[in-house]
Amino acid sequence: MADGKLVSIDKTVEVLLDKMEKDGVESCWDRHLQQEPRCQYGDLGLCCRHCGQGPCQIDPFGGEQQKGVCGATAETIAARHFIRMIAGGAAAHSDHGRGVAEVFLAAAKGEAKGYEIKDEQKLLTMAMDFGVEIGDKSIEEIAVEVGEIALAQFGQQEGELKYIKKAPLKRQELWHKLGVTPRGVDREIVEIMHRTHIGVDNDYKNLLLQGTRAAIGDGWGGSMIATDLQDALFGTPYPVLGRVNLGVLKEDEVNIIIHGHEPLLSELIVVVSQEKEMLDLATSKGAQGINLVGMCCTGNEILMRHGIPVAGDFLQQEIAIATGAAEAVVVDIQCIMPSLPSVADCYHTKVISTSPKAKFPGATHIEFDEHNALNSAKEIVKTAINNFPNRSRNVNIPKESVDLIAGFSYETINYLLGGMFRASCRPLNDNIINGRIRGIAGVVGCNSVRTRHGEGHVEMVKELIKNDVIVLQTGCSAIDCAKAGLMVPEAAGKYAGSGLAEVCETVGIPPVLHMGSCVDNARILIAATAVIKEGGLGDDISEMPVAGAAPEWMSEKAISIGHYFVASGVYTVFGANFPTLGSKKLTKHLFEELEEQIGGMWGFEPDPVKAAQLMIKHIDKKRKALGIDKTRERVLYDMAMRRELEAV
Amino acid sequence: MEYKTEEKEAFGRGKVKVLGATFEEGKPEDVKMGKWREKMTNRKEMLKYIETGERYWYSKDWYGSEKRKKPA
Repeated sequence: MADGKLVSIDKTVEVLLDKMEKDGVESCWDRHLQQEPRCQYGDLGLCCRHCGQGPCQIDPFGGEQQKGVCGATAETIAARHFIRMIAGGAAAHSDHGRGVAEVFLAAAKGEAKGYEIKDEQKLLTMAMDFGVEIGDKSIEEIAVEVGEIALAQFGQQEGELKYIKKAPLKRQELWHKLGVTPRGVDREIVEIMHRTHIGVDNDYKNLLLQGTRAAIGDGWGGSMIATDLQDALFGTPYPVLGRVNLGVLKEDEVNIIIHGHEPLLSELIVVVSQEKEMLDLATSKGAQGINLVGMCCTGNEILMRHGIPVAGDFLQQEIAIATGAAEAVVVDIQCIMPSLPSVADCYHTKVISTSPKAKFPGATHIEFDEHNALNSAKEIVKTAINNFPNRSRNVNIPKESVDLIAGFSYETINYLLGGMFRASCRPLNDNIINGRIRGIAGVVGCNSVRTRHGEGHVEMVKELIKNDVIVLQTGCSAIDCAKAGLMVPEAAGKYAGSGLAEVCETVGIPPVLHMGSCVDNARILIAATAVIKEGGLGDDISEMPVAGAAPEWMSEKAISIGHYFVASGVYTVFGANFPTLGSKKLTKHLFEELEEQIGGMWGFEPDPVKAAQLMIKHIDKKRKALGIDKTRERVLYDMAMRRELEAV
Repeated sequence: MEYKTEEKEAFGRGKVKVLGATFEEGKPEDVKMGKWREKMTNRKEMLKYIETGERYWYSKDWYGSEKRKKPA
């Protein structure tokens, strides 16, 4: 059995893996050990299964096997594999976005009871982005037009995605020049599947360009649409106090864990779980109340908007059930382990699947129907409550839980920095220019059993803020840093360098900002663009002192996110493992040549502190290029000098 | 509120007393405090805010660093 102390920095894992061993239940860490040694061909991206003549494998040590049956080289095989990962990730984010667009449209038409447009202001910005005339139209009329345009973005065949125009002008020009501006969200994903079929595109650089196009279609398309529509439908997040880790489960209440990625059903479960009818039912079953908690990115969504506690991250989903205190784990889509029903079999927990796209043998299926969502939510909550009397005495809820402040949407950061009358990124830019803040890092992504759970995120982020780099976070990475106490304002004085701490204390923000779920990485793109447009830090994201990372990545979505960061001009370092290392040429292209071509590039470093230092080195390189690496004499401009500047 | 001072090193002046943290201790109780968007109650106010606060994308005459190269 896996040793909890070795596999995780989180005490709850140690306690509950011991319990699982006693209960005779297998965990993902046990299965990880059973999978060793890993297939090295697959690990290095050198195994091709794209046709029936294979699998074909390339010898990474220069042996005889240097080409597949069809003649595909290591570069072709690794590039095809890499961009198919982008396709998988972009499809997941974008199908999420499409689902939100469908519910949004149904809500706008009054066909989805329980939903309404909660953030008119966000709707208005979307209307302006999409070219919808506002005038005196009602919210619903505008929402129908916005919803229809948003939905059409996925199947669009020609032209370019609407949100491309939000990127810095210089970046747009570069994308046009390279021919990577996405035409439609789905089209670019389909074209990847075509090009990677046997005997189509065999040039690794050309394959990668299509991967770039699809990834941009994710970050500046499907994901951005998902985030914006969710904000319009459920509200743009404000700073909110929450709590995180398994200690948020309650011994005397009905515990409902909502896990997955979409906020569509969970928003209504939040409402239903507070209804008197449900609270009375819970009391009648001997419970003191209903305790709704989140997990993974659905958890992040309801944390950001309601301050609902988060029980844990991706790798805590099985151990949450092993507490013996969960009446129901309600799941929708993405990052849900197929093992959950078999873990739940050993306890009283009901695993409730809700999406027709994600069913689990052994789970109870209560389908989410947007036209009847309130009833779906009620049925789910009732099922959980009715399960409370079945809870046995074999319960162990860890004590660990800590406070965090979440809810840092781009709009709120802009407001906090500038104020009501002149919201602005200016204070951020000024403090980057004067050196109090060295740069900005986006640290995001999953957890992986191939790294020590949580260590990569926490150690990397501590190193960054210690060196005055402000950190923006999403997904499970945000959950891990919150568990380490990095997402409260007091963390600035405790962990941040003096310059960053000074700024955080002045504004009243933590040095590590929780910006949402993994689909919300689009918020980071928008924040970076705002910094560029404010002025003083170059004309493109690639000129900014900024870097990205996913030290514990594991999903295809992470590869797509990483690549749209790179395609947006960001140096992005991944930990754990990297799927192209078997091809030296492709890896060199990703790690070095791409910077010349597109301004951003990939990096790989399994040690989180060393990875943070690589990011800081890159930030310093950009500071030097901008001429803000040292104190300069202050020059007061007269009118003639100003005119000269304007003419540039 | 009682203002606290802290002693810090100032360049060329040795130790100086400066105003310390002015935040109130404890956790926020009024959840409405941070809901700044609710301060805008009608569409006119919202559009005005979008044009100024979100001027990077929605102002007709001010595009920050990009103004010089691509006039609106």
